[in-house]
Amino acid sequence: MPEIEIDPTTRIEGHHSTTLDVEDGTVTEAKSHMDMFRGIEVITLDHPPSDAPQITQMTCGVCFTCHRQTSILAIEDAAERAGVFSGVPKNARLLRDIMEGLFFVWNHAVHLFALAGPDYSDAVADTGFTRLNPAAVTEGDGGEGYQRALEVQRTVLQAFSEFGGRAPHPLTYAPGGTAVDPDADTIEQVRSKIKAVNEWLGPTDAVPEVLENVLDGQVEADYAQGLHDVVSILAAAKQAGADEFGEGPNRFYANGVFYGTGDDSLALPRGVYADGELRRPTKDDIVENLTEDVEYSWYTDDSGGRPWDEKPPEPDPEDSGAYSWGKAPRYNGRAMETGPLARLVSAEADPFDLRAELGGGSNESNTLNRLIARAQETLIVRDLLLDWIGELDPDGTYNAGWNDDFTADGVGLWEASRGALSHWVKVEDGKITNYQIVTPTLWNLGPRDENGNPSIFEGSVEGMSVASVSDPINVMRTIRSFDPCLACSVHVQSPDEEFETVVEPAQATPEGNTKL
Amino acid sequence: MTTRRNFLRLASAMAAGGVIERHSADIASALEQATDGAKEVVWLQGQSCSGDSMSLLQGDYPSLSEVISDFRLNVTFHPTLMPSAGDDAIEAMSKQPDVLIVEGSIPTDLPTAATLGRRENGDPIPVQDWVEELAPKSRYVLTAGNCAAFGGLPAAKNRRQPNGMGENITGAKGLQFEGREKGGVLGEDFTSKAGLPVVNLAGCPTHPDYILLTLATVLNGHKPDLDRYNRPKPFFEDNIHDTCALRGYFDRGEFADKPGEEGCLLKVGCAGPWTYCDDSERLWNDGTSVCRNVGAPCIGCMEPEFWDRFSPFYEPVEQQNEVGVDVETAGAVAVGASVAGIGAHAGRKAMGYGDTEGEAPPVGDEDGESSAQTDEPTTED
Repeated sequence: MPEIEIDPTTRIEGHHSTTLDVEDGTVTEAKSHMDMFRGIEVITLDHPPSDAPQITQMTCGVCFTCHRQTSILAIEDAAERAGVFSGVPKNARLLRDIMEGLFFVWNHAVHLFALAGPDYSDAVADTGFTRLNPAAVTEGDGGEGYQRALEVQRTVLQAFSEFGGRAPHPLTYAPGGTAVDPDADTIEQVRSKIKAVNEWLGPTDAVPEVLENVLDGQVEADYAQGLHDVVSILAAAKQAGADEFGEGPNRFYANGVFYGTGDDSLALPRGVYADGELRRPTKDDIVENLTEDVEYSWYTDDSGGRPWDEKPPEPDPEDSGAYSWGKAPRYNGRAMETGPLARLVSAEADPFDLRAELGGGSNESNTLNRLIARAQETLIVRDLLLDWIGELDPDGTYNAGWNDDFTADGVGLWEASRGALSHWVKVEDGKITNYQIVTPTLWNLGPRDENGNPSIFEGSVEGMSVASVSDPINVMRTIRSFDPCLACSVHVQSPDEEFETVVEPAQATPEGNTKL
Repeated sequence: MTTRRNFLRLASAMAAGGVIERHSADIASALEQATDGAKEVVWLQGQSCSGDSMSLLQGDYPSLSEVISDFRLNVTFHPTLMPSAGDDAIEAMSKQPDVLIVEGSIPTDLPTAATLGRRENGDPIPVQDWVEELAPKSRYVLTAGNCAAFGGLPAAKNRRQPNGMGENITGAKGLQFEGREKGGVLGEDFTSKAGLPVVNLAGCPTHPDYILLTLATVLNGHKPDLDRYNRPKPFFEDNIHDTCALRGYFDRGEFADKPGEEGCLLKVGCAGPWTYCDDSERLWNDGTSVCRNVGAPCIGCMEPEFWDRFSPFYEPVEQQNEVGVDVETAGAVAVGASVAGIGAHAGRKAMGYGDTEGEAPPVGDEDGESSAQTDEPTTED
């Protein structure tokens, strides 16, 4: 079979490629390959638990806060089970939420404008949305929205760094709380930087008016230009038919995220949605139902199972039939979609009915709804952030102290901007004896499982019609809608055509097409 | 026209945020050479987290935005920055670039653990093959971050060695170092076409200024003055402990006992005395802050093997003999002694470490005359 490849897919992070079999203009099979292995889980072994957040943080320079946070939750959970820890101070919990929230806003903005956005601008197709076109910036003829968004993303990370010291790879979340103990001036600095972001983004309740204007063809806006541009991306995606491709199985899984000002609740709650029903699993339910399958992974056959019980991943690069360094996580045996859409389905939230009205239904999985949910969540989290900052007490306690010397298992359930993230740790006498990380990109873009069932992304492009195997633009739009944290590439295999290239925005872009 | 002195000066420790503002014209003129296509830059990723790419994008220099934008236009290959994908992306990659930048370590024992592109038979191409092919044809080779420089996190010691896996799980190496030892993927004797070894912009992540200023320096044809780990001296001469904003606490003997407490962070694992870079002054995210200033002990991320040398990260470093912190500097001894109650200055003097009385860091002055070393590169054209 002649081979058509796209390798690498760009504008996403890391190493990834996809093989598509295309026959008669339809994708008959998709294989999602993860092309990198480092052994970070193995490296944590024999370290004290308090080292795990530091080591595992560097798993990803994009989700640089989420791994540290989730790892801390895992070791704190273990310490609580061992009876040597009784929770972080409320101020520390809030401060972590604020930093995670700033991260979400940053990552979503970058994704919408720099990664997914160009796919819906004139850079890729004749959409008419010149403000989103990165290629137009240097020509001085458009791209203002893209350019402004990239300026604003830096401001967001500057706000983050007031608490985090630096980004990427801030070091201020610590076991037991935070290392940073912010004073009133620092808090005010953060507030003023967020204010600048708000001037760009505009008020959340302007969404209906802005949407109406954009759909009426208005190009500029008097205020809330950022919101105008975000909504433009959604409108362009709607025009591209993104509500009718990249469809998932409508099964969603969210660990939940942000403790906020509540005591035991999460601002965006934990939930599993399948077969039209939303359930609220406990932590124990997730422990019980979450497994990793290695049938198609380059690991030995006994490397899978329940995360606490899995052996450290043992590479087997010659494993027959395997095609990924990723494992295939499953919930109750089934592939689940994670990400902003899953979180908002779990939260039973569809602000302004955008998904219901534009995306075919609030709980429908498709490429457009993933983008809409990301935009909705950006606004939700932005609004929550301001509340949380108001609750911070500069004179409060930010660290409860920590002792590594215990024996217990722990799990951290949290959310990266791109989806559900869990860290799993076993500690014996103050040393880590097992460590597993289950990332959102594994959920969304992992390989198939022993029953041959595809991952969410694989399934979402199987059956997709591809007008041109050399330019499967909707495949690329769909990959990017998952905001995968792995640089991707796509290989298309077709009986008719030779290898060619895919997805070519008009030309190279200023500021790069940053995949952040 | 930019002179070498200008670049060496601007690259030395200066007040936060001021470097780029004051020298934007110099940097612009250097980077402009890349904007007309005359200079080609290729950025490859091995076993990386993309943190150095993300860091690069946090450089925030409004007066330079156009130049930076144009500059990025001519990064002929970058997996996360480039617009094109697939075969076009590979074809667009310069095969003999002016500057090759590598982010992420190279898995030499398991080459398929980091691949880029496919051969005609469909086999993935190891990033190692790309590096070995492109490096000798490149005028300059830079590493972005600790992994590409020294092996970094993937090369951290596999302590338990389950399933028969070795101490270095994938055989991860830096381009010209394996930890503190010379060697690496390209070998100790490697020089790029300009006659330089691989220039290591260390850090986890590296600082965006380090990348941009070094690029500007080499695109101007200057050879940066390198330290023993082949890091550009202007960025990696300052000792974190000596320049730390919390230094006053140390001198007064006031120590934090846990993260979040006021005081010097030595007792909660700070690796500052063993770590060299200028971020105490340069700060991060456009001069916003730096780890210590928000209470986070330095983890030593600018140093080779920091993952093993400074772990456990929240334990005092000088008590960790078993993890291989050797007495690399007299400063380290001084710190150990002063924690034990001997004054810092006495300790430093006794060990012959430095010759100044003041705590203030050696801030480079406007004329660039304060540091003899920055004016005289070790390697001349």
